[in-house]
Formats: sequence, C-alpha cells, structure tokens
Amino acid sequence: MAGVSVDSGGKGGRRSLDSEINMIPMIDLLVCCISFLLLTAVWSHMARVNADAQVPGPPSTDQVEPQTPEKMLHVTMVTTSDDEKFVLEWRQGKTSVEAPIDVPRPHADRVAPGTCPAEPVRFTDLAKKIEAEWTARGTYRGAEATKRDQAVLHTDNKVPFCDLIAVIDAIYQPKREYPGAKKPVPAFNVTFSVN
Amino acid sequence: MAIHEPGRRLMHHVPLRFVRKRVEGGGGHSVSAALNLTSMIDFLVTIVVFLLMTFSASGEIPVDKSVKLPKAENTMDMLDAPMVAINGRQILVDGHPAGSTGAIEDQGKMQRIDELGAFLKTRREQWKTLNPGKSSKDFPGVCVLQVHETVSALVVKSVFQTAALSGYPNVSFMVGQIPKVEHH
Repeated sequence: MAGVSVDSGGKGGRRSLDSEINMIPMIDLLVCCISFLLLTAVWSHMARVNADAQVPGPPSTDQVEPQTPEKMLHVTMVTTSDDEKFVLEWRQGKTSVEAPIDVPRPHADRVAPGTCPAEPVRFTDLAKKIEAEWTARGTYRGAEATKRDQAVLHTDNKVPFCDLIAVIDAIYQPKREYPGAKKPVPAFNVTFSVN
Repeated sequence: MAIHEPGRRLMHHVPLRFVRKRVEGGGGHSVSAALNLTSMIDFLVTIVVFLLMTFSASGEIPVDKSVKLPKAENTMDMLDAPMVAINGRQILVDGHPAGSTGAIEDQGKMQRIDELGAFLKTRREQWKTLNPGKSSKDFPGVCVLQVHETVSALVVKSVFQTAALSGYPNVSFMVGQIPKVEHH
C-alpha cells in the first residue's frame, strides 16, 4: 500500500528487482503545504489610490526667477439640489486657458445625500472625457517626461467618500509610460482644492 | 423464515465433508486492499499549485471592523505606511483614537486636527530614530487612509490637510480592487 512498484524482471531465481517508492512522506508534505497555505491565505485584496498634497518644499536660494504656474485640470463636482454634473476646466494659475466642459452625471449614480449605493460607483463618461482632454491638451504626454499632469478636485463638503473615490478613479483612467516604471502609471496626480 | 449466518451458500449443503471442502472453494480475496493514490496526489498537487499562485507574502492588511471601504478600478499596490482609519465617529491612528469626525462636521469648515497631527509627528520622529543615517529628505511622507464610504468630504479633506501639514504629503486611500471594465 502507498507505494509505486517498478517491475524490472527477476528471472532465474535471482531476487526480484521490484522496488516501492514510499508515498507517505510525500503525501504528508503536500498536506502540510496545503494547511500552511490555507491558514496564511489572503482572500480580500486591498489596493490604494494616491493623492498628492503638493506641499511646497523648503525655500531654495538657487531659484531666482519666479516660475510660471503649470496648466492644471480642475475637476469640479457640482452637486446642487436641481443639478448634478462635473465641470472640467484647464487653468494656469487662476486663469482659465480653455473653455469649461460640462459632463453630465448619470442618474443611475445618484443616491440619497450621505449614502452610497450597494454597487461600486463608476463615472465612465467622466473618465472618457478626462482621457480625451489629456490626450488633446495634457502637458506631459511623452514617455520620457518625468513629471505628470496635475488634476485639482473641487467638491462640496457634504459629498460622500465613495463619490470622491469614484471621481479620483475616473481621473486615474488615462495612463502613460513613465521612465523607470515597469507598467503604465496614471497620467495625472490628484490633489484636493481647499474650499 | 429462519435467519442464517452470512457466508457462502453454493455447494454448502453437500453432506460429504471431503466433497464439500473441495467444491465450496476455500481461497477468496485478501482482506487488505491497496488504494489507488494517483488521483489523490493529483488533487493535492493541484491545490498546492493554486494556493501557491494566490499566496501573498506581504500578509493581510488589518482593516478597521467599522470601516467599509469603497472600490476602485485604477489602483496601485498597497505599501507599508502609518494607517489612519476614519469611521463614522472617530479618527484612529494604528488603532489609537486621534480625533472625532463629529467635531469637524459641527464646525462645518476644513480644519487642522491637532490630535491627529501630534500622532503623525510622533510617527515621523520614530522613523528618524529608527533610521539615524538618513536625512529628512529621505522620509517617504506616505500615510494610508482607511475611510468609511459614507464619511463626508469635509472630514476627508481635513484629515488630508492635517497629514500634509504634519509631513505626510503623499496620502493614499485604501480601496477594494474591482476588475477593470473596458471603456468604449
């Protein structure tokens, strides 16, 4: 039992060459492996979405000339009682450089204030529009660029966190190659507007 | 009908004992039977391979029981950083209370959370103590927020601002991973 027979003859009165590989240690090892892997298994995979606060570094004596502010994509979440939409606007400092674009928010994503739907919130139209905007007007589109475009998120203070994450998720939709990165990285950095 | 002892029946009633012994048969199969182990080993090997493929060496990240995380598609891998959990009532840093969400919502405006700031600064000092050869520039400045999905943007932005002002400008939000949907 629990053996593998290797028949290799045994004629002429000589001792049989039948040998048995003992399978019990192998089965024990497999069972131990399974027990260990089942006990240490992680069934819920967590991930993260990043946001950068854009805190300025310490003052440098090298910088003499004032830098012109970079073009940034401002994503505003309009949540009034009669209208819910997103507004995309490219701004350089406080100056608008492109006409604002309205993206309607689908009715299916709307829930009562302060609550979240059972299914994950996805703003697919917003993601498509942001990707199109970056492809057309993004500053750092080349694979060699070591900086990334900046997106600023403006929201009402009462917006639930699930909606915030859905908007950040949509902003991270466009991706590009990045020097030194093994896989494509999001084309935008996201930060929050202080309002 | 009478109950009989189980056993062989064929040729059992031949009256002559020597004839009966001959015809009834005395051999029979051995009681011990060898199990076929091939299929069992195949099954075990398949399970081991599957579990090894899904094995994560980084282990499970503890998530506060009272926090239900939102889900997102475009995510990054988790990293080891101070954890700030925000449930409906409290702000916790690695399990220790560091502020109340109710107080922020009552004020109705973005504000710096002093307790949280103090906790994060302590974590920063601990990092400096543990890495004496490194300068402040090497400090990664990353913290991870576990935020309950219905927490208001006001609380999230206040925690974000406090983290940034306490030396953690790179803030990551922990989310559940959902499969990517192709956008056409």
